Amino acid sequence: MASANMLWNSAKILGFPVPLASNGRWARFGCTFRHHPFEGSFFFNLLRSNCSSSTANSVWNDKEYLALSDEELMRQCEMDTFKASGPGGQHRNKRESAVRLKHIPTGITAQAVEDRSQHKNRASALARLRALLALKVRNLVDLEDYSPPPELLQILPLKSTIRPPECGPQIGPNNSKFLPGMQALLDLISTVDGSVADTAKLLGLTTGALSRLILSDDALRMAVNDIRMSKGMKPLK
Amino acid sequence: MRLSIGRSYLVAPHCVKSSRLISSSSSKPQIPLFLRPPNHSIKLTDLHKWYNWAKTLNSSVGSSFVDTDNGPDSTLLNRELKWLVQDAVEDKSVSSELGNEIEQNPKLGLRNVRLKVGIEELYRLWKQRIDERRPFQYIVGCEHWRDLILSVEEGVLIPRPETEALVDLVGKVVLDNEALREGFWVDLGTGSGAIAIGICRILEGGARVIATDLSSIALAVAGYNVQRYGLQDLIELRQGSWYKPLQDVRGKLSGIISNPPYIPSDNIFGLQAEVGKHEPIVALDGGSNGMDDLIHLCDEAAVMLKPGGFFAFETNGEDQCKLLVNYMENNHKGRFCNLKIVSDFVGIPRFTTGFLKEAI
Repeated sequence: MASANMLWNSAKILGFPVPLASNGRWARFGCTFRHHPFEGSFFFNLLRSNCSSSTANSVWNDKEYLALSDEELMRQCEMDTFKASGPGGQHRNKRESAVRLKHIPTGITAQAVEDRSQHKNRASALARLRALLALKVRNLVDLEDYSPPPELLQILPLKSTIRPPECGPQIGPNNSKFLPGMQALLDLISTVDGSVADTAKLLGLTTGALSRLILSDDALRMAVNDIRMSKGMKPLK
Repeated sequence: MRLSIGRSYLVAPHCVKSSRLISSSSSKPQIPLFLRPPNHSIKLTDLHKWYNWAKTLNSSVGSSFVDTDNGPDSTLLNRELKWLVQDAVEDKSVSSELGNEIEQNPKLGLRNVRLKVGIEELYRLWKQRIDERRPFQYIVGCEHWRDLILSVEEGVLIPRPETEALVDLVGKVVLDNEALREGFWVDLGTGSGAIAIGICRILEGGARVIATDLSSIALAVAGYNVQRYGLQDLIELRQGSWYKPLQDVRGKLSGIISNPPYIPSDNIFGLQAEVGKHEPIVALDGGSNGMDDLIHLCDEAAVMLKPGGFFAFETNGEDQCKLLVNYMENNHKGRFCNLKIVSDFVGIPRFTTGFLKEAI
């Protein structure tokens, strides 16, 4: 099998040139610990073990990852590329431009394999990472005087009583702007311990209308159900 | 399709250094498969038959190509086969139906699908892929590179994923130094035009890009690609060796970018068959230590760049990068500054970059 002589090697795309290593695993460790500010700290290790060990939603405060530009987000990532043995470049014609991104602060990884260019695989992996961050990273919401952020208002149905008209048309799951709204919605649902009824009240919607919004996107539905199950509630169907 | 490419395109070659035959400049570039009209119709079941035949061929390869010359294995060949289907069919749902769906529901096979190439040709093409190791990119006539789809054909180097980073390097340089966004940028030995098109787009119309190549086929293909991305007013193609067709912009260049041939001659024989048997040797062979062209590019960069101008060259790896930096520090003492070695996406030191010093 071909992968026998290939290895995952790691290179920080926006960092310093990474020295060529004969062993991918070591190159990756060197890269992670040399360049990252959380280097070896207890906190860093805690985050790593938390995230890799379970699918449960972790609680974070003030981690506005989705607001970062692609470049800023990439700076928080370790990029693994499928590295074959040999000198590469002009020597080689093999379409193995797989990219795997690991978001260091959260330990979340996203990967893309099937695109036909390196560039597109990176873009796909980054888009997937954004979706995973929205789904998995929870921010605590302050419920005193709660008013939903604009990105959340944009994904609500027009009949919401708190949705100002200047919000424009409702943004659906196929729009990339849906992600930050979905994240804010999940933050809210998580903060009220998974209660759809309580969340609906805060958003000026009926429970039925909010349920329909949640069920309109598979990833959102599953994330909400993960929250509900972790609080001992029945999943939405 | 009629092409009107830069004026200098028809200028006779200034220097033909290679013994390889260069075809006349009247060569017409081929249309990539995915852009051809869907003039062929076939029952899905017959396409499925071909698909299974091709998959069997792929399995028979196993790891034999990997063992011989580090070529592709069955898994990679199957992925390429899927991409060939994507390019060859008009209806995008066919790709998934060729998988399990048609086996679960044989009635699907009765419908007609429209193809951009005849079924006999598909058999012939995949036989070439396996028996002759003809590169996949020449079979479909294109390569996906960055966010571009570039036409390629025999006689033109297939742009490599590593080279994508050269465009990002230029993007970063002009972000730090807006003045460099203007003036003349050159891509030497442009091949398919990949770098020229990539940097032209990242320079956002501020600069004139001149792309040179010795080969008429390369210039015709580059012209086709430039045209397809609507950049014919910003990219000029000139025929000739390296800097030879650029004497009118001597000392005026904001940037010089190149992916010249850098493989040491001794290594050409052992190359992966897709590369060594099918790609233009003139675009690969960099002389005894692989650095003949790189050294020439560096020497001339000292007089071709304007003060403060930027250069970035792709190399064979760490040794060549270091040699190049040493060479510039010793043989062009004090002329260049900020010399750097930049790694590619797998961490191999791949590019040497730097600036011509500002005049004092």
